[in-house]
Amino acid sequence: MNFLKDRKFNSKLGMVALTAALSVSLTACGGNNNNNASGSPAASPAGSASASPAANDKPVTIKITNGKGEIASQWEEAAKEFTAANPNIKVEVYSAAVGDTLNVFDKMTASGDTVTIAMFDPDAALHKYADITSDLSNEKWNADTESALKNAAGQVIGFPFAIEGFGLVYNQKVLDQAVGGTFDPSSINTRDKLKDLLDKVKASGVKYPVAYETDDWSVANHFSSQFLNQAEDPNTISDQLKAGTLDLANNAVWNGYYDTLDMLVSKDYNKYGERPLGQYYDDAHLSVGKGESAMLFNGNWAYDSLKAVAGDKFGFIPVPVDNNPDNPLNNKIAAGATQVLVINKNATPEEQEAAKTFLNWLVYDPAGQDFIVNKSQVISGFKNNPNTVTNPLGAAIADAVKNGKTMPFTTNYVTASDYQTILGPDIQKYIAGKETRADLAKAFETYYKSKQ
Amino acid sequence: MLTEKNKLKRLGNQLFFTGPTMLFFAMAVLIPFIYGFYLTLTEMATPSSPAVFKGFHNYVDAIRDTRFWDSMWLTIKYVGATVVLVNVVGFALSYLVTSGLRGQNFFRTAYFTPNLIGGLVLGYIWQFIFVQSLPSIGEKLGIEWLRLGWLGDEHMAFWAIVIVTIWQSAGYMMIIFIAGLISVPKDMLEAATIDGANAWQRLTRMVMPMMIPAFVVTIFLSLKNAFMVYDLNFSLTEGGPFGSTEMVSMHVVQKAFVEYKYGVGQAEAIVLFVIVALVTGFQVYFSKRMEVEA
Repeated sequence: MNFLKDRKFNSKLGMVALTAALSVSLTACGGNNNNNASGSPAASPAGSASASPAANDKPVTIKITNGKGEIASQWEEAAKEFTAANPNIKVEVYSAAVGDTLNVFDKMTASGDTVTIAMFDPDAALHKYADITSDLSNEKWNADTESALKNAAGQVIGFPFAIEGFGLVYNQKVLDQAVGGTFDPSSINTRDKLKDLLDKVKASGVKYPVAYETDDWSVANHFSSQFLNQAEDPNTISDQLKAGTLDLANNAVWNGYYDTLDMLVSKDYNKYGERPLGQYYDDAHLSVGKGESAMLFNGNWAYDSLKAVAGDKFGFIPVPVDNNPDNPLNNKIAAGATQVLVINKNATPEEQEAAKTFLNWLVYDPAGQDFIVNKSQVISGFKNNPNTVTNPLGAAIADAVKNGKTMPFTTNYVTASDYQTILGPDIQKYIAGKETRADLAKAFETYYKSKQ
Repeated sequence: MLTEKNKLKRLGNQLFFTGPTMLFFAMAVLIPFIYGFYLTLTEMATPSSPAVFKGFHNYVDAIRDTRFWDSMWLTIKYVGATVVLVNVVGFALSYLVTSGLRGQNFFRTAYFTPNLIGGLVLGYIWQFIFVQSLPSIGEKLGIEWLRLGWLGDEHMAFWAIVIVTIWQSAGYMMIIFIAGLISVPKDMLEAATIDGANAWQRLTRMVMPMMIPAFVVTIFLSLKNAFMVYDLNFSLTEGGPFGSTEMVSMHVVQKAFVEYKYGVGQAEAIVLFVIVALVTGFQVYFSKRMEVEA
């Protein structure tokens, strides 16, 4: 410890400490700047965005945020192809990292960038970011889709980028064996026919025809939102609930869906009937994938979890709500846009025009169509897209879209987080037999009234 | 006598040793904490929108949130169960592996290993055990209460989290207890033996009072860990079934990042902080007074 007494050394030490402290604080600031800068890609073109009003033929740069991190490289490629066809429009794509909770749009807006096209889920586009969306009602592509996202005022604000749908996912092999022939999903259009089918599956030697795990998001956001489809526009029903004018306990459709759910989770049919809750997602999907059970309730995204042998066929049966074979609810699959593209109205008019050109390219240019379906394996919401995804469940949804056999994806008409965290526990208690149907109806009504 | 220069020199010396720590403590803890407290007084629609000053409104909302207090109560039950069991098991293990057992070094390593696995991974591994392995054992051997998955029943799911917590942290506490056990003077124990104290008396009258410092540390750690539990809760039960195992940290995260009520979520986090600070503060203060010297 002698050196501490040495003045010369000490002043040197002080200098070193001071320099170190200064450089640390400097790097801290520098780090901050870097963070802001790292948002923009390396190849930032010179004549960049937010330029003063310019003529149409001047180069424009549009910035797109992509919320689907798994297709980041496909987006980069699409941006290049689009610019090759439209040399005046440069496209910069900013992708969210898979699993990143803070979305890219917030990050970029916070650091002063104006995003031109943003990818949101419909709920975010309609509520959280409602004041940045612009009216796309007059776009040509509206004629080729039924899945465009409309706001409460009836304006189209969202371009349907990715379509998804849900229903009863079935294993074709198991059902073929049960019916003794080729099973046709459209033959099941009443609850009694579904019950019949489940009995036949049981008779063919399958112990549990259903392996439905009743996770909160599935049974709340997806299954329990379906009753909204009893009106042409699902918003009508939620408005009535908010106003307190709909009596759910006596609503036939609402009750009908829970009658069907009762059957699906009953001890007779469901693998988890005795203790219906409890982290069975993987087991349920493997059971249907391997053919140990015939069906479960989920969407096209379930295909990966099925871990099925390639070549095995899977499809969707609409969830029956009653015994009327002509009821459209019994014959259609709930499908709709789960990711939409919106154009930021804070972008310059030139950027907005360029953005519209880009959306048209996605719909009408073969390269754009190829990007969405073949390269990204996303189900297109546009009837004119000739490509099909390879995932059999996705292909089933795409077929339904093309044949007009879809009805609104009701999850888009509810606040998914509320449904999962507020109503989810009540619905699960109902399934576990700890709450009655009347209690459940009350929980729904209370929830909707609180949203007034 | 301290001249100006000397004072400066002393300050320079002090800064040299504590400066970096202070800087990083401020950057990583102090400033975020103060900013976090400021955020509880505001409301934001999105993380990027401007913060609107709202006074203590968020705290009123937090205190009125019955589900917050439900999850707090559940967490307190969990704290009670894990603090007792982790320490009892940890102490028993440390006693076992210092008793001159054959291969005790191997067992020390083996019991400590679960602590090296992250809570998330652990949760998924045990999820498999509770949902698949135990039920299939139950089915094969005809044990009725094991036949169904544990995580579907609210009470069994709660105990599932407790069991995994014990499995994860008892080994860590064991290491601290071993250090405490080894430092108990041998001559004192020898004297006690000659005076006729049996093994139980030696344990409760000599060894345990001498180990109070170790208990202070282990109880503090297990208290704090139990109050803050999130990863295990998330990966094992996700708060299910029907929200019955949602601990308070998970509730805070849900409030802030699922329901987008950032201000209320942050206010609940501050309330949690105050409770944990008070509880652990009292614990350390009172157990310090129980310390004895040989």
